[in-house]
Amino acid sequence: MNRVRNLILTIIAVILFALFLNKAPELLNGYWQRILNLIAINAILALSLNLIYGITGMFSLGHAGFMAIGAYVSALLVLTPAQKNSMWILEDIYPWLLNVNTPFIISIIIAGLAAAFFGLIVALPVLRLGGDYLGIATLGFSEIIRILITNTARLTNGSLGLKGIPAHTTLFMSWGCLGVVLICTVCMLRSNLGGVFRAVRDDEVAAKMMGINTFKIKVLAFTLGCFGGGLGGALMGNLITTIDPRMFMITQTYNILMIIVVGGLGSVTGSIIGSALVTTMLEWLRFVENPITIGSINIPGIPGMRMVIFSLLLIVVIIFRREGIMGMREFSWNIFFPKPKPKTKSKTEISDTILEVENMKLRFGGLNAIDNLNFKISHGQIMGLIGPNGAGKTSAFNVISGFYKPTEGKIKFLGKSIGGLSPDEVCREGMSRTFQNIRLFGHETVLQNVMIGSRVRQKYQWWETLMPFIFTDVIREDEEAKTRAMDLLSQLGLDEFADEKASSLPYGAQRRLEIARALATKPKFLLLDEPAAGMNPQESDELMKFIRRLRDEFDLTILLIEHDMKVVMNVCDYIHVLDQGVHIAQGTPDEIKSNPRVIEAYLGAGAAVEGSVA
Amino acid sequence: MEFNIFIQHFINALSLGSLYGLIAVGYTMVYGILRLINFAHGDIFMLGAYFVYFATIFYKLPWAFGVIISIIATTICGLLVDRIAYKPLREAPRISALISAIGVSFFIENFAVVVFTGIPRPVVQPPILMNPIEFSGGVRLIPLGILVPVVSFLLVGCLLWLLYKTKPGLAMRAISFDIETTRMMGVSVNKIIALAFGLGSALAAVAGIMWALRYPRVEPFMGMTPGIKAFIAAVFGGIGSVPGAMIGGLILGFVEIMSVAFFPTLSGYKDAFAFCLLILILLFRPTGILGEKLEDKI
Amino acid sequence: MENIMLKIEKLNVNYGAIHAVRDVSLSINKGEIVTLIGANGAGKSSVIRSIMGLVKSQAEEMSYTSPRDNKTVSILNRPAEAHVKLGISLSPEGRRILPQLTVEENLNLGAYIRDDVKGISEDLEYVYSLFPRLKERRRQKGSTLSGGEQQMLAVGRALMSRPDLLMLDEPSLGLAPILVDEVFSIIREINSQGRTILLVEQNAFAALKVAHKAYVLEVGAIGLSGTGAELLNNPKVREAYLGG
Repeated sequence: MNRVRNLILTIIAVILFALFLNKAPELLNGYWQRILNLIAINAILALSLNLIYGITGMFSLGHAGFMAIGAYVSALLVLTPAQKNSMWILEDIYPWLLNVNTPFIISIIIAGLAAAFFGLIVALPVLRLGGDYLGIATLGFSEIIRILITNTARLTNGSLGLKGIPAHTTLFMSWGCLGVVLICTVCMLRSNLGGVFRAVRDDEVAAKMMGINTFKIKVLAFTLGCFGGGLGGALMGNLITTIDPRMFMITQTYNILMIIVVGGLGSVTGSIIGSALVTTMLEWLRFVENPITIGSINIPGIPGMRMVIFSLLLIVVIIFRREGIMGMREFSWNIFFPKPKPKTKSKTEISDTILEVENMKLRFGGLNAIDNLNFKISHGQIMGLIGPNGAGKTSAFNVISGFYKPTEGKIKFLGKSIGGLSPDEVCREGMSRTFQNIRLFGHETVLQNVMIGSRVRQKYQWWETLMPFIFTDVIREDEEAKTRAMDLLSQLGLDEFADEKASSLPYGAQRRLEIARALATKPKFLLLDEPAAGMNPQESDELMKFIRRLRDEFDLTILLIEHDMKVVMNVCDYIHVLDQGVHIAQGTPDEIKSNPRVIEAYLGAGAAVEGSVA
Repeated sequence: MEFNIFIQHFINALSLGSLYGLIAVGYTMVYGILRLINFAHGDIFMLGAYFVYFATIFYKLPWAFGVIISIIATTICGLLVDRIAYKPLREAPRISALISAIGVSFFIENFAVVVFTGIPRPVVQPPILMNPIEFSGGVRLIPLGILVPVVSFLLVGCLLWLLYKTKPGLAMRAISFDIETTRMMGVSVNKIIALAFGLGSALAAVAGIMWALRYPRVEPFMGMTPGIKAFIAAVFGGIGSVPGAMIGGLILGFVEIMSVAFFPTLSGYKDAFAFCLLILILLFRPTGILGEKLEDKI
Repeated sequence: MENIMLKIEKLNVNYGAIHAVRDVSLSINKGEIVTLIGANGAGKSSVIRSIMGLVKSQAEEMSYTSPRDNKTVSILNRPAEAHVKLGISLSPEGRRILPQLTVEENLNLGAYIRDDVKGISEDLEYVYSLFPRLKERRRQKGSTLSGGEQQMLAVGRALMSRPDLLMLDEPSLGLAPILVDEVFSIIREINSQGRTILLVEQNAFAALKVAHKAYVLEVGAIGLSGTGAELLNNPKVREAYLGG
């Protein structure tokens, strides 16, 4: 219903805009046509950088370089042999290049692909770096590309640049390209894959535990972003008809960065609005650099003033309104209409012997974090792992779930050795976990958080999400994931929050959401790291019931770390106790309660022997 | 290659490298404490060059005065940048401060265009620094070529003394490991951060002055490339380490000068070397030569 | 009543949605060892971090009376660096040794606010006399020390500001039993020289034995309080740790 309504509204808006573009040459002078073109191109560039940075969270400063690649590839493909012959003065052009000539549309696609190819080469080594280093390394690559272009004169005509590129970028062309890019981006970001991109940005560790190969996702987002950069560069070259290496300095990247910061990091709508705003303003600000005559008074232009105002704006925005215009929100027709609420239902599966840990040791430097841990969990058990601070419980969890490699020992899960597998591989095998300090994808809604968990069980490929109207399994699988997610939410009493931001939930609900998200990966085995931490006595009472219900309704086996002894003693079938990495006791809750070694570990040496505390 | 030519190149590399190192020290101190790439640092360096230009050539002050005025003015600018553009963002995500840094860099460059105009201005070198001295073996050196590394090493030596022998230095080193614990000891963190910015800017000013003398001109964008390269030098030497920054700077200086000296055909690619070095070190030894692993502060 | 050094009424600490400390009231008299015990996650560290000004908190009162001038000031949400000048210092949980500084540099950092060179070197000798091991290792980097030595260094560093109120957060954590005894006897010794001590401990047994007064925290609120000797024999303490 809403979908049809929104589609109709969108189509009407597009037709109106197309009619406007059709009339534009009569309505607008060349200056404004140029601005309109630049808005579309900048929007493509901003969208692509936003995909890399705002949405997937990789700080890249290399966009100018990828634009340069796109602009040169496209220009070399559309220039005629005669033009090339007359332009290469200093050195001869490569003969094979002289006669290459393709239609414009083909040239911009190849331009995008070329940029994506370079992007991929860059991404493979560089994306292993995090944060600022990535920024500097990509900045470096963009400079290297510029230097290469300057120095390979036979290919690029060096510092002289290319002139007389046919002005293929018409309003229809630039806005048409933006339309296609926009549709593909929006479709992709609305599919569950979009949630996965954002999940990598919000919390890479948790994303891995949801079975997501985060490196692959980053490479994908980066490469797609580079494609956009190349495409934008190609359109730019064919708009201004002259390109040279000096056009693609770091300033170019800053411009795009400014657009996405002003528009809102992570918002597609923001990139479009930001592009319109910044592009128009940059052009309009040219007046401060031109001499103005008011009556008989001549005010000389101030060169550089435009960029001064521009950079001040960037600083002011980042200090006073960090989230930009849109924040991470998106435009939707729904804002004009009141919204109704959805509802649904379903069930899960079974398996046998679950986890076996044999002689597990973990050493950090000289420190024995875990010294020889042995235990077995059979199907349907709730097992507790307890011990005082620094006992090595969370380390044990991290080894079992694949975040650490055990120094020694075997871990068998469902009969298969999993020691050394990465968290996403472990998740695929059917294990999931929660974290001591809740790790939700804070910017996503409750529903999206759970849906991201189900991505690992979906079958469609990333490129299908670009055109879901052709590859309808994307829509079908996402619908299924959504149904299941809603189902999980209602079982955990979270359905009323489905559309709220995860970070806005009350604490207890966040804990439950983390469990719901873990359940969405269809685990057979669940690790809960201090689920009762920070809960008041009532909440932890409810939690106890809830954990038992989890086991029964989802047919789970559960391993639990907990400090709240009431919870542990009431919920667990069997308990293992660690103290400073050493496995000191095991038994039923009653056995553990009266075990002198446990009392000593918790209350201090002498407590049990002298019996004074008891 | 003849010996005397080689010596010439060697001295060139030494002075270029020590200039990179002097700038890199400022990056490394700020990064060590705040985990922030102070993109504006290269532009602070440019201001240092302009201030001395105006003091000595425009207002005809003696060089000694000019140098002092330039150092003071540049230091004030560095402190202002921290106060206005970074301090409000201490609690914000790190990336916000980084964007703010980019904005500041952009601002200073263009403000310089507005105030100083974009036209490069030639610097008149004092003859005393330029008259070549003859050494045996046909080696001719200008005093400036020797002065630059000597001054640089002296200043970095002073900085090391300050870091390792004084109380504010102790606090500065402590802050780069653990801000909270250092606060518990009664250290006022903002003062120490300001000190780091001040010292870094003063050193950048000296580097700017010597750069202006060596490549005798000033222009608003002169800080961009040396700035980025010096940051790379800091990463190469091990970000957070002052001696590392100096070593990184020297290595970069030698790579740039010597590769062009031995393979003149590579001269067009000169500016790419730094980035190749960067990518190599990040892939094979991300902590740099002398670097300790810096934990991301959350 | 002029004996009260630190007085807290209805302290509350929130971390986002977590209500970590609820309506905690306590008071510390001059010259006492007061201990705050409780199971993991009970909120002990939050109380001590709140007193030190390291977390934002709400309270009806949090006042400190300096024995130096008998002036009472509110220290609620005062920045941590200002506490040291008042005579409060903290040896934090997890020791927080600065790993790349030498032992002596760590200690000197503890005396950062002081300018009396002579007094500092006296106190350095005093700390070395308490912990002779630190003297042997004075030129070593903090990161090369063993866990027990790091703990000694953290306590010594907190003493270097010559505090009137010394707060120790889990000084026995992760130490071998022999070292635990040593740490507690040193705590007694420091106290006997006139310093007031607030001790946060998970090792209830050892802490209760040295404390004049004790508070038991359970899920963020004070469940029990009394003298150390009283609580040592109270079965409810054990319940607070191991569940009913």
